[in-house]
Amino acid sequence: MQGSMRRPPEPGVILRRRLAQTGEVIATLAVIFFVAFPLVWMILAAFKNQIDVYSTRLFFTPIFTNFRAIFADPILLGSHVWVSALVSFLTVAITIPLAAAASYVLSRHRFRGRDTLFLLILITQFVPAVVVAIPFFTLFRTLNLIDTPWALIIVYLSFTLPYAIWMLRGFFDALPVEIEEASFIDGCNELQTLRHVTLPLVMPGLLVAAVFAFISAWNEFFFALILTRSNSLTLPVAIQTISGPRGPMWEQVAAAGMLVMVPILIMSLFIRKYFVEGITVGAVK
Amino acid sequence: MELPRTTPELVAEPVARAAQAAATRPWRPQSSGLRWLMLGPAMLVILATVIYPLVSSFITSFRDWRLINSPTPGPFVGVSNYTRAFTDAGFLNSLGVSALYTLISVTLTLLTGLAIALILAKPTRLNVFARTLLIFPFAVAPILKGYSWRFMLNPEYGVYAKMLGEVFPPLKGYVWLGHEFSALVSIAMSEIWGWAPLFALMFIGALGSIPTETTEAAKMDGATSFQIFRRITLPLLAPVIYIVALLKIISAFKMFDQVAIMTGGGPGDSTQTLYYFVYQVAFRNLDLGYASAVSYLLVAIMAVIATFYVRTLMKGD
Repeated sequence: MQGSMRRPPEPGVILRRRLAQTGEVIATLAVIFFVAFPLVWMILAAFKNQIDVYSTRLFFTPIFTNFRAIFADPILLGSHVWVSALVSFLTVAITIPLAAAASYVLSRHRFRGRDTLFLLILITQFVPAVVVAIPFFTLFRTLNLIDTPWALIIVYLSFTLPYAIWMLRGFFDALPVEIEEASFIDGCNELQTLRHVTLPLVMPGLLVAAVFAFISAWNEFFFALILTRSNSLTLPVAIQTISGPRGPMWEQVAAAGMLVMVPILIMSLFIRKYFVEGITVGAVK
Repeated sequence: MELPRTTPELVAEPVARAAQAAATRPWRPQSSGLRWLMLGPAMLVILATVIYPLVSSFITSFRDWRLINSPTPGPFVGVSNYTRAFTDAGFLNSLGVSALYTLISVTLTLLTGLAIALILAKPTRLNVFARTLLIFPFAVAPILKGYSWRFMLNPEYGVYAKMLGEVFPPLKGYVWLGHEFSALVSIAMSEIWGWAPLFALMFIGALGSIPTETTEAAKMDGATSFQIFRRITLPLLAPVIYIVALLKIISAFKMFDQVAIMTGGGPGDSTQTLYYFVYQVAFRNLDLGYASAVSYLLVAIMAVIATFYVRTLMKGD
């Protein structure tokens, strides 16, 4: 090492090092292209007119009429944005309190059957959606719930709740019990401790679980396809209706796609730190 | 697998206080009434939304129930729905399609993820920026993955189809979604794009835990970079690769969204995955008894993979 520091390296070595560095940069640029290009191309298409969208030229004059078009046509996306938002928000609003309570108990209390219960909750995440869909389809038909947001919220709980319980238990487990013990010594009972000490400390966890639950409800396609007809289509299903004689009208599909994509991408950035761990817990669904 | 942890600075101060408290009198109440009050609602919802439908469709799988003939469940027919599956060309085809699709998508996703991880392993400024981008594709809705690849692979105006045509002239004007094998590969491509960057992130995390002294020492001893990769990097990544492969196998067997958007199961029935097949039988043909039976065969496959996954996860605890 020291020898090479004192003596300047031979020109051949410098050249080889330069080449290697350039190679590394090119490889990184290739990765960036691979990852970002489909997103960029879709987003660009949202600002193209019907002629530009069928060309592969990089430069064009951006227009904004596609967004107006998808909102102007009542059977297109206008109302479905609200259905999607309603379904996703209510799913999260029911999931998080129930999951927080359950995972607190599973993390802090010792009782018989706790580990079995916890394992069962994990296993529910392997249940394929289609198995769940068949009985719910007939049940909702009899209850007249087909094509209502409630049908979707109920089935979405089947995957958001077990997932959130798993994830939140991880956050509770990571919290040292001693903090709560200190609070008990100060004279707080269990509920007071939970409210003033434990819950504030797992706030990041609650947020992460909420974002993941929101993403999975917002992006969901299979149940929404089966359990809705026209009134309560969510965005992912409603996008299918944007088609002309030549297949999808790409400029409008892309504009609608941005509506689906952009909120989720922004949320993902907020929980970036927990993203990978979150997926390993939940990607089985 | 490591579960999320709270940040150190968040807990450091309370921990110090708590340690002091614990030294004086460790005590915590455990009210069993409160326990069931807090656990109950979640358990009820899981019972209603997971256990009930599981049991219900298991019972249906032994019935003859075609919704077109009758709105109420038909008679019990024993295991005939199950035996029917193994003589049904449609089911056997979908089983083969799913197996082939799983093989293609799992292999290619792992290789792509590994390649991305190795490229971005060095923490240069450009690489760190590129890593930030890696979280995006997974968050994109699967149907949008389907749409964007269908758009870009279109032989007339698809930007990827055109680029490929420029690089490999025989592929000019090739209809990617119009041929049996390439349609399946195209669906896999949309999934590789979605998952490989995420896998790369996990691999980068694992690569970071390899001590640099080990690789430096190997280099000093004259090991080539391939030898280092083969003997040091790969064995250390093996546990991560294993768990990630299981995740991908599960997701591959559940492939539905992109099939619906990109090919609708075609051309012919060449991209009719198991999931898509059950969907057709249940919600197109409305043959609920048979669909339930086939969906339970899918559950059986899932159970095998889940066993491996759960075992690994429990060992990690």
